[in-house]
Amino acid sequence: MALQPVAKLPFEGLIADARSHKLGKWHSKLSERALEQYAEIGWPGPKTESWKYTSLNKIASGTFSLAREYSAIVPEDMIMPLTCPRLVLVNGVLNKELSNLEQLIGNLSITSLVDIEDHQKTFFDDLFKSEESKGDLPLTYLNTAILSDAVMLEITEGSKCELPLHIISIGSGNGITFAPRLIVNVGIGAKVDFIESHVGCSDSVYFSNSVTQLYLGDNSEVGHYKLQNDSRDSSHISLTRAVIDDGASYDNFTMSVGAKLSRNEVRAHLKGSGVECCINGAYLGAADQHIDNTTFIEHQAEGSSSREVFKGVLDDTARGVFQGKILVHPEAQKTDGYQMNRAMLLSDKAEIDSKPELEIYADDVRCSHGATVGELEDELIFYLCARGIDRESARRMLIGAYISDAIDEVKNIDIRSSIQSVAENWLKQNLYEK
Amino acid sequence: MSLLSIRDLHATVGGNEILKGINLEIGPGEIHAVMGPNGSGKSTLSYVLAGREGYEVTRGTIAFKGKDLIDLAADERANEGVFLAFQYPVEVPGVVGMTFLREAYNAKLRYLGKQEIDAMEFLKFVRSRAKTLNMSDDMLKRAVNVGFSGGEKKRNEILQMAVLEPDLAILDETDSGLDIDALKLVSDGVNELRSENRSMLIITHYQRLLNYIQPDHVHVLAHGKIQRSGGKELALELEAKGYAEFSEEAA
Ligand SMILES: Nc1ncnc2c1ncn2[C@@H]1O[C@H](COP(=O)(O)OP(=O)(O)OP(=O)(O)O)[C@@H](O)[C@H]1O
Ligand SMILES: [Mg+2]
Repeated sequence: MALQPVAKLPFEGLIADARSHKLGKWHSKLSERALEQYAEIGWPGPKTESWKYTSLNKIASGTFSLAREYSAIVPEDMIMPLTCPRLVLVNGVLNKELSNLEQLIGNLSITSLVDIEDHQKTFFDDLFKSEESKGDLPLTYLNTAILSDAVMLEITEGSKCELPLHIISIGSGNGITFAPRLIVNVGIGAKVDFIESHVGCSDSVYFSNSVTQLYLGDNSEVGHYKLQNDSRDSSHISLTRAVIDDGASYDNFTMSVGAKLSRNEVRAHLKGSGVECCINGAYLGAADQHIDNTTFIEHQAEGSSSREVFKGVLDDTARGVFQGKILVHPEAQKTDGYQMNRAMLLSDKAEIDSKPELEIYADDVRCSHGATVGELEDELIFYLCARGIDRESARRMLIGAYISDAIDEVKNIDIRSSIQSVAENWLKQNLYEK
Repeated sequence: MSLLSIRDLHATVGGNEILKGINLEIGPGEIHAVMGPNGSGKSTLSYVLAGREGYEVTRGTIAFKGKDLIDLAADERANEGVFLAFQYPVEVPGVVGMTFLREAYNAKLRYLGKQEIDAMEFLKFVRSRAKTLNMSDDMLKRAVNVGFSGGEKKRNEILQMAVLEPDLAILDETDSGLDIDALKLVSDGVNELRSENRSMLIITHYQRLLNYIQPDHVHVLAHGKIQRSGGKELALELEAKGYAEFSEEAA
């Protein structure tokens, strides 16, 4: 019997390259370990349960090289429209010239891996290790293995950041891959809002494999808002993982409008009790876009609440995926969980796959979930037209209202209206009847 | 000259001919009532006039202020001054009442080549209209018709009419579902809007409404045609005798 050639792992060839690249010896060890774990789990395929609706074949079979350019022009019209301090990553590496952090007050410190000596990296080491124990996340290991930088934000205990921080991750170049990595460490009782805008320079085609890890100390308050507006032919795979302690509140919202293939995966581990956690989002898809939102909320302790509202609009042959799992441990009595996922299909060929999953091991809990799929009813459009509003404006108003309902979940009012304007822009540019 | 002139109007819905030769002339300032059995085509007529898609005119003409209406889209007809108060007003989730009214009002201004209205000024205008209809500010802040009671929805239709000030108002069973007080309120609202230039086509099943809003003409629509026309006494006669004389066999 002929031996089958051993299938090479996607991106394996780039990993060795990455080691000699930017971060030196320290990263080599880390990268080796990550590669081992990545190899053990393997690339997610059609049989991998959590990836059954989203195929990564196109990424796996593509030819990518590591990004080597770390400067670009910020595509201002793509990012979230906000005036606040910004931190800019180009192809995953912090670019200080493009960032303006002067306005940030002393209660927030920013450390880039590129800037520090190997012996100072032990703290990062521990963080990465703790990440690795989390299991089935091959793309996170890949991120670690090909890292070019990592940025850590630390908000000191008790400090309240008045201005939000805007983190802009820019993809620039063709056929490249990069691995943005953010670590956010929020001290006890601290308060901060930050935004991630993922965008691309015009015509860039890339694969961004992004990981954001958060640690929320007791009673901290964090707003974490993300805009995925990557270049239309690119791929965006991201994982956000938040570990949340007693009494903390976490407000997460993702607006997805860009990329050809995207996955926004959010995993929230409610370690403490009395946690308030919101994982919300909205998505607008047209042409052949594929937009995946996958969430996992783990209630580990008593008396926490979680809320999830996702709403999407899909036109043409766009495809949406929503997977939402809520796991309630036996200790997590008095858990309050709510999940709602709605999609509006504007074309016969648009599609949504939806998979809610509740796994509850405590008996005194309140958990509910629901999903709806609908279309824009002619009767509704006619009602607006009969009042003098033209058909196109009527559609825009109705779809806008539909999506706003999810955007209204965003707790920070300024950011809410920024996201609103992103949605309105999208509707202006993409919504015309075929 | 008539404000609205309908000649030999035939229309199909889903391939079925529902209107089979309607003739109707409405002069400026006139109030016409249309009565008729269920399923006779009254709402169909209202949709055809308002320009709903799927309601296809196969023969005949509709002239409004001398213009051919058939070629105009629904929004253009509305901006020309045709208003339809729906038999079943639609709930519009997420669109706030006040915003909806302003959009509609400004659409008309733009259509007429005029400046859009100042938001504060408009608010005052709407409030004064809402007051007459006993509609609270709260209702204007809510999404249009969402969670409104049947009667509230009907009142909201009349408010929209009062704000948009059409030349022709078609009221499709605005009275059904209203309690006695609301019927009075809505009728007062409608009467207040009566003017020499504003005509109305009132579709109703009940003679009671016509006590409040006195029509100049009453028509009986059955089997897709106007079978009989007369003065307001015709409504009383129908109340007493029903529609037996207009049954398929009689026709
Ligand atoms: N989409 C459709 N396809 C086929 N037939 C239709 C369609 N819509 C309406 N009809 C038919 O057209 C006829 C007229 O309906 P219409 O709603 O105009 O009646 P109406 O006079 O307003 O009745 P009511 O007094 O009950 O309100 C009915 O027989 C109805 O079933
Ligand atoms: Mg009817």
